[in-house]
Amino acid sequence: MAGLALGAVEARAQAQDEIVLGGSIPLTGVFAFAGVGIHAGIQDYLKLVNDEGGIKGRKIRYVAEDTGYKVDASVAAFNKITSQNKVTLYYGDSTGFAKTINPELERKGTMIMAGASFASELNDPKKFPLQFLPGPDYTEMFGILMRYIAKEKPGASVAFVYSDTEFGRDPIAPSEKLATELGLKVAEKIVTPPGSVDVSTEVLKLRRARPDYTIFHGYVLAPIPEFIQQAKQMGMQSRFMGTFWSMDNSMVQQMGEAADGFMGVMPYRYYYDKEGTSPMLDKIRQMRPEYQSTAYMQGFLTAMLMTEAVKRTLDAGKELTGTNMKASLNTIKDFDTGGIVGVPVSIPGNSLPVGRIYRFDAKQKQMLPASDWIQLGK
Amino acid sequence: MRIGTLKLSYAADEALFDTKVQWICLALLGLSLILFPFVAGPYWIYMACLVAINVASATGLNILTGYTGLVSLGQAAFMGVGAYTVAVLETRVGTPFIINLLAAGGMTAAVGVVFGIPSLRVKGLYLAIATIAASMILHFVFSHWDLTGGTRGLSMPPASLFGLALDQPHKLYWLIIPVTALMVLGAANLFRTRIGRAFIAIRDRDISAEVLGIPLLQTKLTSFALSSFYAGVAGGMWAYFFRVVTPESFPLINSIFYLAAIIVGGMGTILGGILGATFMTLVPEVLKLVVGWLTPWVPDALSLLAPIRTIVFGALIVGFLIFEPQGLAEIWQRIRRFFHLWPFRT
Amino acid sequence: MDWLYIFEVSLAGLGAGALYALTGVAFVLIYKATRVVNLAIGEILMLGGYVFFGLVAGAGLSVWAAIPLTILAGAGLGAVVERALIRPMLGESPISVFMVTIGLGSILAGLVELGWGADPLRLPEFIPNTPIFLGEAYVAPKVAYGALVAALLIAGALAALRFSRGGVALRATARDQGAAYSMGIDVGRVFSLSWMAACATAAGAGVIVGAIGGISPTMGIFGLSVLVVVIVGGLDSVAGALVGGLLIGLVEALAGSFLGGEYKLLATFSLLILILMIRPYGIFGTHEIERL
Repeated sequence: MAGLALGAVEARAQAQDEIVLGGSIPLTGVFAFAGVGIHAGIQDYLKLVNDEGGIKGRKIRYVAEDTGYKVDASVAAFNKITSQNKVTLYYGDSTGFAKTINPELERKGTMIMAGASFASELNDPKKFPLQFLPGPDYTEMFGILMRYIAKEKPGASVAFVYSDTEFGRDPIAPSEKLATELGLKVAEKIVTPPGSVDVSTEVLKLRRARPDYTIFHGYVLAPIPEFIQQAKQMGMQSRFMGTFWSMDNSMVQQMGEAADGFMGVMPYRYYYDKEGTSPMLDKIRQMRPEYQSTAYMQGFLTAMLMTEAVKRTLDAGKELTGTNMKASLNTIKDFDTGGIVGVPVSIPGNSLPVGRIYRFDAKQKQMLPASDWIQLGK
Repeated sequence: MRIGTLKLSYAADEALFDTKVQWICLALLGLSLILFPFVAGPYWIYMACLVAINVASATGLNILTGYTGLVSLGQAAFMGVGAYTVAVLETRVGTPFIINLLAAGGMTAAVGVVFGIPSLRVKGLYLAIATIAASMILHFVFSHWDLTGGTRGLSMPPASLFGLALDQPHKLYWLIIPVTALMVLGAANLFRTRIGRAFIAIRDRDISAEVLGIPLLQTKLTSFALSSFYAGVAGGMWAYFFRVVTPESFPLINSIFYLAAIIVGGMGTILGGILGATFMTLVPEVLKLVVGWLTPWVPDALSLLAPIRTIVFGALIVGFLIFEPQGLAEIWQRIRRFFHLWPFRT
Repeated sequence: MDWLYIFEVSLAGLGAGALYALTGVAFVLIYKATRVVNLAIGEILMLGGYVFFGLVAGAGLSVWAAIPLTILAGAGLGAVVERALIRPMLGESPISVFMVTIGLGSILAGLVELGWGADPLRLPEFIPNTPIFLGEAYVAPKVAYGALVAALLIAGALAALRFSRGGVALRATARDQGAAYSMGIDVGRVFSLSWMAACATAAGAGVIVGAIGGISPTMGIFGLSVLVVVIVGGLDSVAGALVGGLLIGLVEALAGSFLGGEYKLLATFSLLILILMIRPYGIFGTHEIERL
């Protein structure tokens, strides 16, 4: 043990001025598909930065631990990483973790954090002053979807299908309110128990409601395909939509026949998107010739925004404290992400309220844009 | 070498710790627990607190399962009751933490008694399954009651002692370790009393116990209440430790974890609960360390960690049940016996 | 009241219930012969789904070749588990054996995750996909065919239990081990056979369940519902597993559609507590009398 501790001390002594990005990453467990992508995305972006000499000559080092998507393991990883390194940036893996660690984050005051959670609760700069979301929160995702629906078919009826989890329930209440404001009708809300696979009774319920649009939330894959398949068999005409975590192209491909016409909201561009100029996407494609998931893009963009916040803080000659970095992050206005997001982005508060509707094309086996970029609050 | 101990009174014979050596060992243990936070890093203090919470809960389960012979797969859900009680009291009433912890214990004991009522009719496996049902029902209540904050759960301020916020592991250590020590000591003493012996009689043969004049239902429910009290206090400490309580904090797998802990440690011994909970909490960390060392040679070792952890968890349960049913406590006894008899038995 | 809706929901519930019944029968087979409450049944079912997936997607076998192989693999697993883990526990308290199966479940879940990763996967489509209408009422084809296959398998199991040599031996062993043994029945082999048959059945059920909802390392949770089924029906009664399975399927479907999806588990587990209070040994189970 002593030898190990000694080694760590040496490593720290070698690089006094390096910046550490810590991460509680779900490399295993139910959320592993995302964790693996995020892990690669963060590493790749940091490699790009470090290859160009780092931020003002200071390299960024990435220290990650696997959490298995369990809150206590995430907290343990946080404690371990922050006690062995001087951490400036942190990536957390779940809403539960983000909430649990928030008081500690404020107490330390030395870092800013983002994560895999887009929970609406976190999108509150007063309650979570040192955190941010690298995209729209779940309510904003619903907002983008419904704004699109209201434009396509004014007065349409929508149904919400969500899992009985914190993740699933997150955007439902505010979105219902928003639907009425947009002149949409919420025809039905269907809750499925977590981990359920047989959805035939729920589909029967959905059929009775006859919605024009059905929005799924709180799932990754199952039971969305089964739902869509049965609904189509019954002759339902509804369009089916998803939110960020069920929108990855390889996931949608797994849906088989049900994937055709599946739509959803995505704040980033897909790996294969060659439209216009996108230097960052080109670099990614150069580094990794095979398809990278949307989780990868999420990790990549998170690292980019964090680095930008550090850079702006250093440029202003300020100390790297949580408050300073968050303030710098909020100065990001019409920032060019090199094509990861299709439009220049701003972070006025805790989130990045931008997204685009994509639709799956069965012939090309790809999610293709179905709308322009939709920016909330503009 | 231990030749024999002279006892001059019944009191000495009944003492919990009967020799000077034991007292010295105990004092050393106490001292090392006091010194620990001054030498260990934050990570190890964090682990120590987690171990202590698990020890408290496992000891509670040991009272019910190890000593009374009633298998429960609801320990984690009962901890949830305690955690929510603390969170609600802390956020809505603001009573001091000692009262909150006691209230958590009391509340959980009451809930435990309610779910212990099926033990009137069923026992053994049926009871284990009834407790699974109890944890499902409790989980539903947690995630759908306004008071418990629904699926979002509750966030709470830290415990405070004389205006000092106990917001970090190295401060909470001074709350968690003494409470756990007190609870373990209480459990050890319990089995020197009439009620504790009644538990053991029921475990060994409930019908015989009834013939001996032990009121079965009442005693079983007392055992449920006591065990749940422990779970509740442990859950309360858990709540102060993580300061956020959600329905997903206490899944069924955690109940299996506590049961596994007392099996691995040794059912029906206090030492077993302590050893088992410590061992089972530290195994994943050790695995993580090992995998960390392997990473230079096996690049994706990290991604194998979770399945390996699951396999090791299962293998430990199976292995101990087949090869060492008395658990770690028995191994410990064997080591002690070896030294007691050391030069004589070769 | 929308009677068509209730009818449709009930049909869907019975369809799901047939799968519960099938897995319940596997559970009861083991309990009858060896008095082991096998909590790993959900994980064995899951393994069936994964083996099938591996054979079709990995080894490129056709679906119809893969199904019998999966069932064989299930039987093999049953034999190994019985010999390696259950036989050594003979004579130990039922609780210890119960915990061994929990450990086994954990090991199986870990192995599956090690082999195939934690992501949910979808089995190749092999069940006919044309919608089925009973009069006006719609039945999801997968559920309908799944239920049909389950019914056939259950009928097969019942016939085997009733008429085959092995079935008779199993029933005799369940009734009285000593007497069976002295009549020349190889009790050890009966133990083995029952585990093989049960695990093969569970693996087959896993293919159907996986075809309906996809497979993932957490699908072992299906076993919890099955546990409710057999407790409600009676641990040692095949008829109980059938009735219990259909009943639980129906209760889940009705609770899900009229109260909301979050009430499904609550409804079944409340039913479980109720049954435990009024008929602790289940609807058709044998009431064991304890003697000192």
